Amino acid sequence: MSAEPLGPRKVVGTPVARPHRTAAVQTYVPEIARGLGIVMSHFFTNTKEMVFGQRPDPSTESVEAGINTVSYPEQKRPYPARFRGMHRLTHREDDSPRCVACLCCSTACPAQCIHIEAGEYPEGDPRRGYERFPKRFVIDELRCIFCGYCVEACPCDAIRMDTGIHAAPYDSREQFIFEKDLLMSFTGRDGSTLTQNPRHEPADTTYPGVTREKGH
Amino acid sequence: MPSFKLDDAEIPFEPGDTIIRAAERVGVDIPHYCWHPGLSVAANCRMCLVEIEPPPGRPAMMLDVLEWDAEKHDYVPQKKPKLQPACQFAAADGLVVKNQSSAHAARARSAVQELLLLNHPVDCPICDQAGECRLQDYWLEHQGTKKRMRDEPIHKPKAVVFGPTIVYDAERCIVCTRCVRFCEEVAKDPVLSVRERGNMTEIVVSPGRQLDHPYTLMTEYVCPVGALTAIDFRFKARVWFLRSVRSVCVGCATGCNSFTDYDPRSQNVHRYRPRHNAAVNQYWMCDEGMLDYRRIHEQRVLIAQVDGEPIAREAALARAADLFAAAPPETTAVVLSAEHSLEDNFALLELARDGLKTQNIYFSGRAPGEGDNVLRDADKNPNTSGVRKLAPQAKPFAELARAAEEGKLTHVLALGSQAPSDASALAKIKHLVAISTHEGPFEEHAEIVLPAASWAEAEGTFVNRQGMTQESERAVTPRGDSRPAFRWVHELRLALDRPPAWKKLGELRAAMQPPALPTGARP
Repeated sequence: MSAEPLGPRKVVGTPVARPHRTAAVQTYVPEIARGLGIVMSHFFTNTKEMVFGQRPDPSTESVEAGINTVSYPEQKRPYPARFRGMHRLTHREDDSPRCVACLCCSTACPAQCIHIEAGEYPEGDPRRGYERFPKRFVIDELRCIFCGYCVEACPCDAIRMDTGIHAAPYDSREQFIFEKDLLMSFTGRDGSTLTQNPRHEPADTTYPGVTREKGH
Repeated sequence: MPSFKLDDAEIPFEPGDTIIRAAERVGVDIPHYCWHPGLSVAANCRMCLVEIEPPPGRPAMMLDVLEWDAEKHDYVPQKKPKLQPACQFAAADGLVVKNQSSAHAARARSAVQELLLLNHPVDCPICDQAGECRLQDYWLEHQGTKKRMRDEPIHKPKAVVFGPTIVYDAERCIVCTRCVRFCEEVAKDPVLSVRERGNMTEIVVSPGRQLDHPYTLMTEYVCPVGALTAIDFRFKARVWFLRSVRSVCVGCATGCNSFTDYDPRSQNVHRYRPRHNAAVNQYWMCDEGMLDYRRIHEQRVLIAQVDGEPIAREAALARAADLFAAAPPETTAVVLSAEHSLEDNFALLELARDGLKTQNIYFSGRAPGEGDNVLRDADKNPNTSGVRKLAPQAKPFAELARAAEEGKLTHVLALGSQAPSDASALAKIKHLVAISTHEGPFEEHAEIVLPAASWAEAEGTFVNRQGMTQESERAVTPRGDSRPAFRWVHELRLALDRPPAWKKLGELRAAMQPPALPTGARP
């Protein structure tokens, strides 16, 4: 390695011309006026579009290039088709929960956020012996990590995450504890509540009616 | 010892053994449903079929069968060996048995599985047996195929209440008749029988009867599938959430070996299961013992009390130490408990001897109950023999009551919760300190109550009526402010400034071992 010569180093590269500051720039006044002009033009454009309903809806129409304001929560960005939102419990045709309280979701849940207490149908109920139901079904949405394992694990299509609602910023922890009634009140993004996996058991309208006495 | 060959292993057997029993003795599992080591042989499930080689020089017994030939698109005559049920075939010296190595046996088992599942509802999600079901296990091991029948399966009665403890589902039943045989052979109450034939068979209770003998829960226990379910455990938990420890039933002096199944997340005990011990309970437990786990959670003393008011445990301990620091040895007494383990009793006995210097030793326990000549003992305490061996000088509860009535006792430190007889005399004791697990006369009359951990919350050693010393493991953490009774005694001795020679459970056991432990075969 050769020794570097002593003394100041030679500057390499292309010299850049310093900006020429005119009086207009130095006084700031025209620039401020220009900036205000941009702000006001956006303000009037937005106001006009809002008043006349001309704004593109980001959830349905493609948004313009550049910076676009989404007026959340009135407007939302479109979610992907398989977006995992808040859970819901599907219904049977008689609006009872499809869930049979097998605890598969609770077993699969890595966050252990699902709590279920199973109940038995009373004596005389046509579903007694064939099904059981969740006396309590609680999901702690704060603990939930939205992995979707519960949906995968469910053998009955009873739990889904297709509500399109994402975790909401509530103001207390209790509000994140979703009970059965709340979970059953949600619909899918297509507005459906029914399960896609009916069991055809007694008390279902699709039950074939085969019994011990009455054969095939 | 004579032996036979099972696959590649040489299996020794005792005269009179069947193949499956000899294999089970050495830990080789031949799949089975209807066979149970504690019951007679029915040989009706056909799951344990094995291929047995003919004796040297003799032809094998072959059966003519028709096999479907996909290429010829027709059935062609074939031969296959006659398979034998391993549960019924007597083991003989030099026998060559093919279990896993036999393709014929594997095929037969797959076919048996398919037949058993033909009309099965496959409602595993709502079945309490799921997770410990033979049908699930063997489907995975021996079948692994989908259902081929497209018809609606046969429907049979579901959720039939057999009695106060058992619910029956005929659709899940594989009619192995284990429950029928159990009632007849072990419980000696033949209340169950089989009705109908073929795929309509079901188990029924005798007309006018209920399944209500003292061993009903064992029918659920022997059921290899989810046909019989216990009302007590029904829909309460999923078995894969539960963990087990080896425990000893504290319901009576028999000391049946059990597993305590608990949920580690909620720290709740959910059930007992019998644990095999040929010398004590074989494979069984009684209903009373099986349901005894409830006492772990019910009517417990969980907070220290002084004069009936809850108090911090340190304060209660300080009050107790103050009481006994100035107690005159003549009127001081210690009450041992046959409900508690040897460790607890030994710690207390040592305190009486070295700390309180008193000769007044009594013992109490639960009142006697019903017994029979199957398993249940009339003595409802798990450790009566242990306390007797530990402190032969201990006087029974009746004498404690008399001494209290006569005002001879001023300071009493009592272990345990229940009294065998009328305990109203306890109210006459001026200063009664009770180390209790449960609510009861001691807790009621005590000036100071120290909450003790129950048998499931502490390690313990119990001596059963046969004099066998058996260890019980800790399942859950002590609830509330409770802690093991020997721990309370230890702290009390520290507070009294008379510390014992031991600190840990192991040291306590070592201190107890030579003089206190009765000799007896460990299981």
